[in-house]
Amino acid sequence: MLRIKKARFHGIHIPELALGLDYSDTNVKSIVVSHAHADHIPRNRALSQESNPIEVYATPPTAALMRLRGFRAPIREIPFHSPIMIRNFRLTFYPAGHILGSAMTFIESPVGNLLYTGDCKTPASPATEGFDFPKNTSVDQLIIEATFGLPIYRWKSNEELKAELIEFSQKSLDDGYTPIFIGYNLGKAQEMMHMLKDMPYTKQIHGAGFPLCKVYEDFGISLGNYQRYERKTSEGCILFTPNSGLESGFASHIKKRKIAYCSGWASHEARRSQINADRLIPLSDHLDYFELMHFCEQLQPKKIYITHTPDPNVVLHELESKGLDACYLDLAAQEEDA
Amino acid sequence: MSSELSTYDASSFEEWARVMQEIAETRSSNEKIGLCSRYLETLSTSDLALATQFMAEGAFSNISGKRASIGARTIATQAAKFCEIDYDLVFKPCRTATGSSSETIQKLFENLPSARKKWRVNNWSLSQIKEHCETLAQIRDRSKKQHYLTKVWSGLSPLATKYFLRLLSRGSLRIGFELRSVLQALSRCCKVENEAIRYAQMLTGSIAKTAILAKEKRLSEAEFQLFHPMAFMLAAPLSSDKSLEWKDYIAEEKFDGMRCQLHAHQNRVELFSRDLNPISKQFPEIIQTFSDKSLPYLVLDGEICVFKNDTIQAFQDLQKRMGVKKPTAQLQDQYPTIFIAYDLLVYEKEMWVRKPMNQRREQLESLSKTFNIPISKQHNIPSREYMEQLFRRAREHGNEGLMLKHRYAPYSFGERKNHWLKVKEPSGSLDTVILYAHAGSGKRGGSYSDFTLGVSVKDDDRYEEEFIPIGKAYGGYTDEEWKQLNTQMKSLILDRFGPTVLLKPSIVVELEFEAIQPNPRTKAKYTLRFPRFKAIRWDLSPADVDTLKEVERQYQQDAQRERSPQKSGQSFHVAN
Repeated sequence: MLRIKKARFHGIHIPELALGLDYSDTNVKSIVVSHAHADHIPRNRALSQESNPIEVYATPPTAALMRLRGFRAPIREIPFHSPIMIRNFRLTFYPAGHILGSAMTFIESPVGNLLYTGDCKTPASPATEGFDFPKNTSVDQLIIEATFGLPIYRWKSNEELKAELIEFSQKSLDDGYTPIFIGYNLGKAQEMMHMLKDMPYTKQIHGAGFPLCKVYEDFGISLGNYQRYERKTSEGCILFTPNSGLESGFASHIKKRKIAYCSGWASHEARRSQINADRLIPLSDHLDYFELMHFCEQLQPKKIYITHTPDPNVVLHELESKGLDACYLDLAAQEEDA
Repeated sequence: MSSELSTYDASSFEEWARVMQEIAETRSSNEKIGLCSRYLETLSTSDLALATQFMAEGAFSNISGKRASIGARTIATQAAKFCEIDYDLVFKPCRTATGSSSETIQKLFENLPSARKKWRVNNWSLSQIKEHCETLAQIRDRSKKQHYLTKVWSGLSPLATKYFLRLLSRGSLRIGFELRSVLQALSRCCKVENEAIRYAQMLTGSIAKTAILAKEKRLSEAEFQLFHPMAFMLAAPLSSDKSLEWKDYIAEEKFDGMRCQLHAHQNRVELFSRDLNPISKQFPEIIQTFSDKSLPYLVLDGEICVFKNDTIQAFQDLQKRMGVKKPTAQLQDQYPTIFIAYDLLVYEKEMWVRKPMNQRREQLESLSKTFNIPISKQHNIPSREYMEQLFRRAREHGNEGLMLKHRYAPYSFGERKNHWLKVKEPSGSLDTVILYAHAGSGKRGGSYSDFTLGVSVKDDDRYEEEFIPIGKAYGGYTDEEWKQLNTQMKSLILDRFGPTVLLKPSIVVELEFEAIQPNPRTKAKYTLRFPRFKAIRWDLSPADVDTLKEVERQYQQDAQRERSPQKSGQSFHVAN
């Protein structure tokens, strides 16, 4: 078995392989970036030292998104399902179903193998490459995120959620309101646009999210008819913005509007008054509790490490009762990209 | 989800719960009222009475005095058992995440296969649910209560279970739809004037009774019954930027006592608290004093205060009497109470509430003279400056501040803009530092909203710590400040204990409170009454935080505050 070190706020460190996973420190030779959300990308500063070159690995879509978001160091692009050897270990990316390009990292080393999920979702988000994992191999160590690791979280199917997004948009527009979807700029926005791609209305997306959409289309995810958000033409379109945009004047001139807050956190009733939305749609890009349990049971790893979770006891207690060996790797839970 | 066609009977509790959820999910209050009124239209009179009572008062009518008497823990542990999950290991973390026990129960019942197989929707009617509540209230034994609870939620959808639990707790349904809105929906559905409904509601004190009268177009028959409490009129705070026609108002000192409605006829006298509960037994000396007067048929609104040595005593003294059902002679002697009247609502079988205040007052003064009843003293207000002078005098008398009352306003229940205004000032403030943050509940569920604040003891030989807790505050900040707090906190977390995090002392909060009370069970030996945020002092550092010695000094100063006797400059008197 490999020794796994958590590095607080800097991801995961595998010292024997000089490898960092979603890692920001410089004491490694290789860093894997699971997907392009900000809290998983290494800081430029960490990689700029010429004396100690670190190689960064990511899938091609993740690399493209990272560059658009300001990542300057070179990236080794490794497609899904294409194993490569790095020093003494082999690395393979499997689609994680979280956002475009998101990957689960499978490491095979002389002392055992390890599957690191990064952020993941199964069944996969429809705006991703799907969800897949190593089969016909027994997994020694699994590091899995449990952002929604409580039994109060159980998501609706993608089809039901898509129907709800369409219904909300259509009803708002029919009643003379402009529908506004609140969701993270990368991943959530494009997922919603993809779900609404066949609706015969123009979609406008917040300026920070707009350039990222091109990457989705380049990699074969259709987003339908869309534009960059423009104040004077936005009324009557379907709009997408992060919550921060709404607070800083996005669509503030539109009096007749209906707001839908789309996130796993939307399953909390209290969010209704906190966000001030007309509709809460629990559309998450993370596994719910039941999907997590199902995946672990299916995979039957020798040892499970839980990260990013509201209260590790709940998941650990349930995994133990299923006869699985599990422990908690303490990484701070993230809210923004849920 | 809205716009879904309902599959339930209109008169079923499931349909009621579905409508409540739709109201919760609707933002505009006008649309909420519309939704509710369209639903009420489908109901028979008796169902209408129950449906509105469930919305505004809970399982039992306010005037019934009944309680389900079922603790939150009794419910939660039974729910965990129902789901076959561990209460401490699984249920509690889920409740921490949502901030609501009833919401947690709903979700677990929906999600967990072990719970799903145990409930089947029985389509109970509203009156069957009412019967279940009655039965629950009668069961004394905790485990029998739990057994019965299981029976009820085995026959409800998880959504209906959530609302059933909220009914039992007498709390709000948390759908942003309070009594005022229910009355408006009733007015729309029965096509009667909102004012007429509000008036009937004041007289009946019961939404179910009001609903029946409205539905049957018999609102004019709403009848006052002596020894049944009426809803109270409330005051709105006077904002400092508001300019009033001072000549239209009078000022009274605002007593720091307990609001009370006194009903009397001959030698029978009854007292009711602001939540319409009978409190006669708690204040036998007041009952005695007033029954000796052999009063005519009347209802007075006023305040109970501890009055000793010709001086109105602190609210802390009155607290020693509140809730004590049979006070001993010694307790009565130590904290003697009086009733000070300030309004006349019924007199000689006639309703006086619709008459203007000055007329009611005139009659009250005449009754005061004849029957020797203490009444508040009223002052004309020639100017804001004079009002401020009166305010300072009220404070000297040991009172909270002033009440401004419009001379020509009727007595109407609830808050009425500019009819009654209260002028208050917090009794003190302290600069404190945040020591712990606690996961919030209700509106602020799922984030940190309650804070334990500390004062400095670093130069205090009695303590080894740098800071010790002085109080817990959960309000007074804006949404913006609350978000900022939650962001700033992230880097200060030192440790986690379930829903609580220990923070590095860093964020300074100016705390406002009503009073400092001795409390030997706490580390500081003092607690604050009604502490809330006045300002987050980003400009201050923990070195600027007030000391425990400062708390002790403020307490001594307040307890020894001169409360001038009533002979000089009276707060109340007997008219002559």
